[in-house]
Amino acid sequence: MFQFPARVIGAAVALILAAANPAFAQQLELKLMAPAAPGGGWDQTARSMQQALVASGVARSVQVTNVPGAGGSVGIAQFVNGAKGDGNQMMVNGFVMVGALAMNKSPVTLEQVTPIARLTEEIQVIVVPANSPIKNAQDLAAAVKADIAKVTFAGGSAGGVDHVMAALFAGAVGADAKKINYIPFSGGGESLAAILGGKVTAGISGLSEYEGQIKSGKLRAIGVTSEKRIAGSDIPTFKEQGIDLVIANWRSVVAPPGITPEQRKTLSDAVEKMVKSDAWKEILKQKGWEDAYLGGDAFADFLKKETARVTDVLKSVGLVKS
Amino acid sequence: MIDTFAALAHGMAVAIQPMNLLYALIGVFLGTAVGVLPGIGPALTVALLLPVTYKLDPGGSLIMFAGIYYGGMYGGSTTAILINTPGESASMATALEGNKMAKAGRGGPALATSAIGSFVAGTIATIGLAFLAPWLVDFAVRFGPEDYFALMCVAFVTVSATFGDSPIRGLTSLFIGLTLGLIGIDKLTGQARLAFGIPELLDGVEVTTLAVGLFAVGEALYVASRRHHTEEKLEPVHGSLWMTTEDWKRSWKPWLRGTMFGFPIGALPAGGAEIPTFLSYSTEKRLTKHPEEFGKGAIEGVAGPEAANNASAAGTLVPLLTLGLPTSATAAMMLAGFQQYGLNPGPLLFAERPDLVWGLIASLFIANAMLLVLNLPLVGLWVRLLAIPQPWLYAGILVFATMGTIAAKPSVVELSMLAGFGVLGFLMRRFDFPIAPVVVGLILGPIAESQLRRALAISLGDPMTLLQSPISATLLGIALIALLAPFVLKGLGRFKANED
Amino acid sequence: MTSVDPAHSRRRVDRAGLVIAALLAGLAAVLVWDARGLPSTGMYGMGPEAMPVVVASGLALLAIGNFIDALRGNLPARESADPVPVVLILVGLALLIAIIGFGGGFILATSALFVTTSAAFGRRAILADSIIALVMSTLIYLAFDRLLTLSLPAGPLERLL
Repeated sequence: MFQFPARVIGAAVALILAAANPAFAQQLELKLMAPAAPGGGWDQTARSMQQALVASGVARSVQVTNVPGAGGSVGIAQFVNGAKGDGNQMMVNGFVMVGALAMNKSPVTLEQVTPIARLTEEIQVIVVPANSPIKNAQDLAAAVKADIAKVTFAGGSAGGVDHVMAALFAGAVGADAKKINYIPFSGGGESLAAILGGKVTAGISGLSEYEGQIKSGKLRAIGVTSEKRIAGSDIPTFKEQGIDLVIANWRSVVAPPGITPEQRKTLSDAVEKMVKSDAWKEILKQKGWEDAYLGGDAFADFLKKETARVTDVLKSVGLVKS
Repeated sequence: MIDTFAALAHGMAVAIQPMNLLYALIGVFLGTAVGVLPGIGPALTVALLLPVTYKLDPGGSLIMFAGIYYGGMYGGSTTAILINTPGESASMATALEGNKMAKAGRGGPALATSAIGSFVAGTIATIGLAFLAPWLVDFAVRFGPEDYFALMCVAFVTVSATFGDSPIRGLTSLFIGLTLGLIGIDKLTGQARLAFGIPELLDGVEVTTLAVGLFAVGEALYVASRRHHTEEKLEPVHGSLWMTTEDWKRSWKPWLRGTMFGFPIGALPAGGAEIPTFLSYSTEKRLTKHPEEFGKGAIEGVAGPEAANNASAAGTLVPLLTLGLPTSATAAMMLAGFQQYGLNPGPLLFAERPDLVWGLIASLFIANAMLLVLNLPLVGLWVRLLAIPQPWLYAGILVFATMGTIAAKPSVVELSMLAGFGVLGFLMRRFDFPIAPVVVGLILGPIAESQLRRALAISLGDPMTLLQSPISATLLGIALIALLAPFVLKGLGRFKANED
Repeated sequence: MTSVDPAHSRRRVDRAGLVIAALLAGLAAVLVWDARGLPSTGMYGMGPEAMPVVVASGLALLAIGNFIDALRGNLPARESADPVPVVLILVGLALLIAIIGFGGGFILATSALFVTTSAAFGRRAILADSIIALVMSTLIYLAFDRLLTLSLPAGPLERLL
């Protein structure tokens, strides 16, 4: 079913069996939107939240819906318009959406949603196919410097963290970031196939998405974007290879505009409870995500600053017209 | 190989226990019951019913899950055949001939060939999954953007089979669909096209909204406008309720061919179910011995696409199980389901947890068989629906058709689009433009565009990239032959006629 | 009734055909106009404006083709259409959209559509049909809301349930 033909709907709603049980009557029944195709980072975040919210008893049921398109611009438009004032809906979002909205000159902005909490941070990785002549970050840097147009990067949607990172990599090795040849794919699945098939030079993504392929030897990781080497991992950072590239893909959850302070508190409390649950900690460990919980006004503040920062980066590399 | 059989036999032994058979039956029943509701495609059916399976032991829940999955798929086809409202784009091709058959009193054979075809295709494709998955996936990841584009070219050429008599009118329909496909945010650059500042349009046009508007609403308007000519008489059963020997003879080859299209294309990460169903429809139309029946209810046109649809669904399990890639909405749901049962799809799954893989495959077999057991006896009941008096029947169809949109997206813009597409469908019928190419254009246009642009970006704008990939070159060659063959054959025919 | 003998209609200019050709040409113009507003981006290969222009060119050619067909009167013969039932159904759809839009709820909206459609197909028992429609849509609403916990638009009637 491709061109993920539009609407894709996922995940569980409890049946009447559960509804008939009065003990559950007080609990939340949430709708959680993943504004991306199934399989990608936001989708995994949403499904993990679904799992943790239900397992920890915070919510009776959580229904995940996927609304893919243009780095979440489609999803947030639908969310802001369709869920206004609904205290039972939340949307997963993150770094990618900030850039996408800036690039699209979207009529809907992140200022319209109600911030709930930042949840995780994920380290980014650049991979090449196992049979690629590129062995490390310096090899890739040399290739980029030799002919930037010929080095193709596969990654997520235009203006997303992968795209920004490709531009930052080019800038960090002294090439003209405006000239990068970046190929956006929708969803992690398609870009992975393009990398495995050797159609592109390199792939950019969150580390967890390609971890299975890296471990099985089908992909070679040439660098991660963390400050320091990740514990228990033998993948070098870009920094230790002499390339100043530090970036993290944060993910957060927001509520619709127009909800009451009580509704906001209910959702914030639910998310906070979820973050502290064992189920959530277990998932973080499993997926290799860093806990980056930041709630309430602190997160609202962070969101504002990050929006300004990302827009600046995008302007400096020519992705957004200043 | 011996190990494979032993593992499969063990999986079967578990799956065939009486309790598990019962779970499979319940799963198929629930899946069918929910799947026939408008606006609820297979993915949502699985999503809605997944929690029911949590209460069982892992073996039982996996098998009930498989039952729900098959039931949900079959439920979508049932509405396509009976009331011309395909629940998802993959059953669009089924609606083309299936609904015509139902109106001619052959709904019974249409539903039967669809159920049996699904069974045959599902079984063959599941065997394919069991034995070919690791090899097939190596082939599948070799498909690059240029190869997908070439595949789209083959699809575009073959859909001309849905054009009807006049190429100009067929192309006009196709281009209306392509225009609709441009609406919304451009995937590669994030620019909004033809959205006119309406946020709802940024989503693009929903395939099901278009299909239901053109098919169901347009048809109701058209039939209403012609009531004064001839009162349309619907006979629920005309001739045999079951498939006749003739029906069997005309169905078995389309089942197999549909499977051949569906399974490999479904296994491609960006393959999908639409292309194989269209390819199957076009092929059957070309190969049939009864070309005059196409457009009036040809059983081949139901048997082939239904088999292709089911086989492609099994095909999506190839990247799902071997790479952990969910390549469709339903596959994403299955991934969620598998994870509940401790199955973590990925490169190591086949090596590390063969027991779970074979348990799953055995469950799919059993559930597929249960689908037949449950649904064949129900065929007679379903076709009775068509005996409802015409005013209520069409009123009910319209309520169901709009309800799908209301349930999925209760926005005034979306409902207005549905009504607008209904009017478009009415006008197109009135002025004799074919309907199906519009939906085809909406589905294929955006995929073809994205893949071509990706291919050209990778090659820095050099179109020769399309010929340098062997897969792409081969597919383009096939497209060219398919394009030219009718003209050449016509020329030969004329030549022969002159000889005589 | 406009059912005329085919030999005669062959030669006549088909006005509807001309309108169709004009609409296609108009659509092509809209596509080009919209594509011109797209900023060119730094992408290698094809930009977002290329495909709309290709589709617009196709539409323009098809407009010419349809125009010629219409001039020659080459369109297939049409039987007369009765506008009354069509308008009735469209009124039903408009009512449905309006009722949903103004928060009247699922039951009233679909009932309105059911009754008008049924009337369009020749039923004149409006009261009986209304009752059937209300009962049916209430049952559907309950099935979705209670059994599947899928929310359909709620209005005054739904809140009573």
